[in-house]
Amino acid sequence: MGGDKNSIMHPYLKVTIPLVVPLLILLAPLSAFPIEGITIVQQRVIAIFFLAALCWVFEPIPIYATSVVIIVLQLLLVSNKGILLFRLDEGQAHFGELLPYNEIMATFASPIIMLFLGGFFLAMAATKYRLDINLARVLLKPFGENPKHVMLGLMLITGIFSMFMSNTATTVMMLSILTPVIAVFGPQDPGKTAFALCIPVAANIGGIGTPIGTPPNAIALKYLTGDNLITFGEWMTFGIPFVAIMMTLAWLLINALFKSEQTKIKINIKSRFLKTPKAIVVYLTFALTIVLWLMGSTHGMNAYTVAMIPVALFSITGIITKEDLKKISWDVLWLVSGGIALGLALDKTGLAQLVVNSIPFAQFSPYMVLFGATLLCLLMANFMSHTATANLLMPIMAALGTSMTSLAPLGGEMTLILTVTFAASLGMSLPISTPPNALAHATGHVQSHQMARVGMVLGVVGVLLSFVMVWILNIAGYIR
Amino acid sequence: MDKLNIICVDDQQEVLSAVLQDLQPLAQWLNIEECESADEVLELIEELDAEGEMVAVIISDHVMPGKTGVELLTEIASDHRFIQTRKVLLTGQATHTDTINAINKAGIDHYFEKPWQAEQLIECVRTLVTKYIFDRGLDYTHYQIHLDQNVVFSQLR
Repeated sequence: MGGDKNSIMHPYLKVTIPLVVPLLILLAPLSAFPIEGITIVQQRVIAIFFLAALCWVFEPIPIYATSVVIIVLQLLLVSNKGILLFRLDEGQAHFGELLPYNEIMATFASPIIMLFLGGFFLAMAATKYRLDINLARVLLKPFGENPKHVMLGLMLITGIFSMFMSNTATTVMMLSILTPVIAVFGPQDPGKTAFALCIPVAANIGGIGTPIGTPPNAIALKYLTGDNLITFGEWMTFGIPFVAIMMTLAWLLINALFKSEQTKIKINIKSRFLKTPKAIVVYLTFALTIVLWLMGSTHGMNAYTVAMIPVALFSITGIITKEDLKKISWDVLWLVSGGIALGLALDKTGLAQLVVNSIPFAQFSPYMVLFGATLLCLLMANFMSHTATANLLMPIMAALGTSMTSLAPLGGEMTLILTVTFAASLGMSLPISTPPNALAHATGHVQSHQMARVGMVLGVVGVLLSFVMVWILNIAGYIR
Repeated sequence: MDKLNIICVDDQQEVLSAVLQDLQPLAQWLNIEECESADEVLELIEELDAEGEMVAVIISDHVMPGKTGVELLTEIASDHRFIQTRKVLLTGQATHTDTINAINKAGIDHYFEKPWQAEQLIECVRTLVTKYIFDRGLDYTHYQIHLDQNVVFSQLR
């Protein structure tokens, strides 16, 4: 992924810009900020925010490392256990409130992180005991041998799996099933492109379906609390129809653009359902966790508590061993933690509120704000990590949504957060947009311009469709 | 992004040039080094290691003055610093015993008989470098477009 980005910009600038800009912000006098009543602590948070944004855009360091930097800088500069030199003015009005250090550290184990950890355990166990590949084999059978139908089957399976597994893991599995199949296609057959492209597209779209489908959803969930609370099952009631419609559109589009010359296609997956006691525990735990998630809070547990059940069960039974533990994508968890820490700092120091209040949003059309925010998110998500995009935008959207009263008739905070979250998943027009795209592009069957054509159409259509969705939810009285 | 090294060793200059010529397409993302004897290889990898560079693949001839290819690869296989380095034997004159030793002692990853096919040699190096990248825990995304995708898929599973 990074390879393409490196060439856009001089490596020297890539490092200096993210260093110099935050430093200038940090050293500027308070009076230089066009915000009334800004404090020193808030100024430091602005500097950290810019550092994070620039590091996530230019990627001088890995994106998860940026998250770690955010958390450590917050501990050193704006926590009550930070460096003494930076706390000398504590207590004075212009200094502002320091954040409790333990709250910053707790972002590493926030409920959102635990939800994802549970998801990782489920996905790892499913892969280890071949539940994923066996399900794929069984589900693919009814789609026959007509390439068009097989593609629909592949997309549906990819979509469903990416709701519970990471989009990347799903893409890897499906592409490895597909590679030997595409290899027998004629060298100029557009069907090669169609099949290689349908997988990342389906994975990106499928991730929208559940709160654990992709990190931006979970980040959104973090801000949908109180009156705006959305449970796991509720998310799926609108997420799944959205995914279904987008998937159909994507299938039609890819089929129209890249017609396969092959008349018959046979996918042969060599695998059998395991019937060992451990495998059965995996099947049952998987089913149980999903049922509990779908039941909402009728059993008193929320999605976060439920997510810990597979973690415990798989650890006890040795289904996930200590060697498996080392393979958990800690980078993804830390990436999200950094975003949560950033949101925490923006919120707790009162900075988000202060900035939103000092910009006269009341004079703006709520439609313009909604469209503007969503398009900005779509644009960012095409060029950088979806999770990093959500990390940066979500805290601002939350503050904007609560304080902008003119948004209320459109559904307020929830509308804004949901459309922006969906837009984050719809950024998929470049190989660098998402890891699934990069994987499909690296197969050599999909050119960048082909990916761009499909990705841009689906991105724009998807964003418009998300507006229709929140409009329907609003009319149905679901969004308060 | 770390530049990975491929080392080719053969005492016959013509053969060495032919191998290098065939590997040329890989030169845009790999650093290809040439040596004419086993001792030269040992010296080179020592130097590379001291500079923190990585040796991904060694392609060696067998019959050479001084140390033979199998002896060289056996020595490298037992050096913990190069435990992940992948080894290829490219020879026309290995005896039955040499071949057994190449597999059992040197643990070679691939055996090419002269004359070799350029296409197969490139694919083999690509596959072995991909495995090396995952074994070393390097960030595969930096090299993604050049790698053997089947290996990438199986490693990411």
